[in-house]
Amino acid sequence: MTLRRICGLLLFNLPLLAQVTNDRILNSSQEPQNWLTYAGSYQSWRYSTLDQITQANAASLSARWVFQTGSLGQFETTPLVIDGVLYGTGQDNRAFALDARTGRAIWRYQRSLPDKVQACCGMVNRGFAALGDRLFMATLDAHVIALDSKTGNVVWDVTAADYRAGYVFTMAPLVVKDKIIVGISGGEYGVRGFIDAYSAATGQRLWRFNTVPAPGEPGHETWSGDSWKTGGAPAWVTGSYDPELNLIYWPTGNPSPSDYGAERKGDNLYSNSMLALDADTGALKWHFQFTPHDLHDYDATQTPVLVDTDWQGQPRKLLLQANRNGFLYVLDRANGQFLSAKAFGEVTWATEIAADGRPVIAPGSEPNATGIRTCPGALGATNWFSPSYDPQTTLLYVSSSVECDTFTGAPQKYHEGHDFIGSIYVPAKGEKTSGAMRALDPFTGQKRWEFPYTSPPWCGALSTAGGIVFGGDSEGNFIAFDALTGKDLWHIQLGAAIYATPMTYSVAGRQYVAIPAGAALFAFALPEK
Amino acid sequence: MRRMVWHNFTLLLGLLLCMPLGAQSGDKAAIREGESLFRANCSFCHGFDAAGGGRGPDLTQGRWLHGGSDEAIFRTISQGVAGTEMPANPFEDSETWALVAYLRSLNHAATTVVPGDAIAGERLFFSKERCASCHMVKGRGGHLGPDLSRVGAARSLAYLTDSIRKPNKELSLGYTDPNNHYGIPLEYDTVIVVTRDGSRITGVAKNEDAFTIQLLGEDDQLHLLEKRELSEVRHERRSLMPAYTADTLGPLELQNLLAYLASLRGE
Repeated sequence: MTLRRICGLLLFNLPLLAQVTNDRILNSSQEPQNWLTYAGSYQSWRYSTLDQITQANAASLSARWVFQTGSLGQFETTPLVIDGVLYGTGQDNRAFALDARTGRAIWRYQRSLPDKVQACCGMVNRGFAALGDRLFMATLDAHVIALDSKTGNVVWDVTAADYRAGYVFTMAPLVVKDKIIVGISGGEYGVRGFIDAYSAATGQRLWRFNTVPAPGEPGHETWSGDSWKTGGAPAWVTGSYDPELNLIYWPTGNPSPSDYGAERKGDNLYSNSMLALDADTGALKWHFQFTPHDLHDYDATQTPVLVDTDWQGQPRKLLLQANRNGFLYVLDRANGQFLSAKAFGEVTWATEIAADGRPVIAPGSEPNATGIRTCPGALGATNWFSPSYDPQTTLLYVSSSVECDTFTGAPQKYHEGHDFIGSIYVPAKGEKTSGAMRALDPFTGQKRWEFPYTSPPWCGALSTAGGIVFGGDSEGNFIAFDALTGKDLWHIQLGAAIYATPMTYSVAGRQYVAIPAGAALFAFALPEK
Repeated sequence: MRRMVWHNFTLLLGLLLCMPLGAQSGDKAAIREGESLFRANCSFCHGFDAAGGGRGPDLTQGRWLHGGSDEAIFRTISQGVAGTEMPANPFEDSETWALVAYLRSLNHAATTVVPGDAIAGERLFFSKERCASCHMVKGRGGHLGPDLSRVGAARSLAYLTDSIRKPNKELSLGYTDPNNHYGIPLEYDTVIVVTRDGSRITGVAKNEDAFTIQLLGEDDQLHLLEKRELSEVRHERRSLMPAYTADTLGPLELQNLLAYLASLRGE
């Protein structure tokens, strides 16, 4: 073997041996062939500079491989791709590593879960975080685990909370420096929400921020009586991170019980809020509550999108969020200052968002025993699936629902580990529900285009430098849209509702787009030349 | 298994005390808890107020196909019904009893006797140009409308009367159970499509998405269409079924038809 050949082999193999470092995550836009974090970058744009698939050639996309997890239910993962290997999590806390070019499995993992795990909305998981040679998953039985990325072997496993009381994890963790940041789910079970940081090296818990303040803590006065103990405010969607400010932006969900508020009087901090936490200590730097004293299940658990741009002539660090309550918010992320909120769908629960950012509640929108029609419905104008910010078009692509619900409210006794919702919502009688992919100017709230879906969607958005927005619908169509016009350039029927957000990567010079649907993960690419 | 033993013990205790242990009939708090649980867990199939939904029968009529004692209703809720779409439900026993209390609070006096001649009603149902041209019962009849083989167990007489006299009143809008995303929404809306060459097809959409529609036409044929080949897809938001007024279906005919429909219990 010649020296040249040895060097060539080393070079070829180098990427496979490389580890995920903080620098690589910070500079992830420098390696668009990889997808190193849940939302593609710390700014959570879910945008890729890959441009092989374009408006001109998207019509010739075809499936390159399909991977079967072996489990039905909602398949919500955003896979990571690191140097040619794709890492995903599946239903029932399955996980897998695949050759990203062929879809062939390298290893599979499945966690044995106890019988009594209560997950409101499916035995789902939205993905891994990666650092070094480890992958991090937060599990349905409320553990945080580290797997070895080459073998899937468990490196450490720590308990965060008691699953029997309704605490579960569904989100993908976020790596910040040497820490693994996770947020709990369980807003339907009267949990007390929290955001945790664990040592990537050992699994030791380094800090916890309780999203419902205890007696003596600021914000506790926003809960009447003992309601804080079962106050909810879960933190079930992955946040974003600003390394310059060293702040983690993490959204929170509904107060419990979601549809009945008479026994939790007050604003119910920090439910339905955006929290800015010091990454090193978990200390709260600022908060902004979108929906105080929520009665409609308007979790603010939508991905915060971080954009640096001029706002009214001044350069500012902005945070954009298309909120489940129907408004698209712009905040100053350095200090939490409210800058604007524009409705991006039909809203009847509030007449407007006042200049201080507080909603003006519409009279008669409070759920009662017989039912009140309110828009958006409980599943929101959008939900947990990611939006995408495209710096070329400067548009925010938001997968949106069109649904108004009849909300009823009723007192409910708390039973540990059981539903604690305070009655229920159903689609408003006689109204057909639907949805749309919408392209919004986040700075004016103006809608540039929309593509109508037949029913409310559960598939988010991915934008690429090829001028494409990928999305999908609950009828099972995976679609490539022209980012400027919304024209559908290509679509394929995948046979099951899509409950995930697409991502893209490249191996050996070929761009792939991956999306889960049903029990399968699909990867699409252009034909080989 | 431990839970089973405890369950049997509580039942025994209930019998010993000569009262329906958990049903707590008339207990307002239990009824309210039961209502809340019902809406959160049962309403997607049985309807918001238990009067029947797209998949589940009306539970307000005091007609219990799988046993009408408190214990039997408890068992139906907790264990489900094999061979049907009714699943087992892992509630705490106290919650199941609250559901029983709620259902009991809804029950009107059971109307087991339906006036009218069911045999004459059946004749009418299957007569030319009548119900069976669109509805099927036990394998006989048409395809456009819902299968009515169990409709007597699933729907109240008032609902059936409305469906005949005012079919647009309660149009099934095809809500999909959020926990069953492999389901196809049940929808009986009238859809009219116009093809690019100008021909019109009227029917019921068996399924539809942004790009395609699978239409069962009034001609009893499946029309499998891509929307790009159509110039119009119109949802009429009305039933394809004509309203049978007193002029087209007299009071006696209606009574006979209701007697026949009420006898259809899937048995």
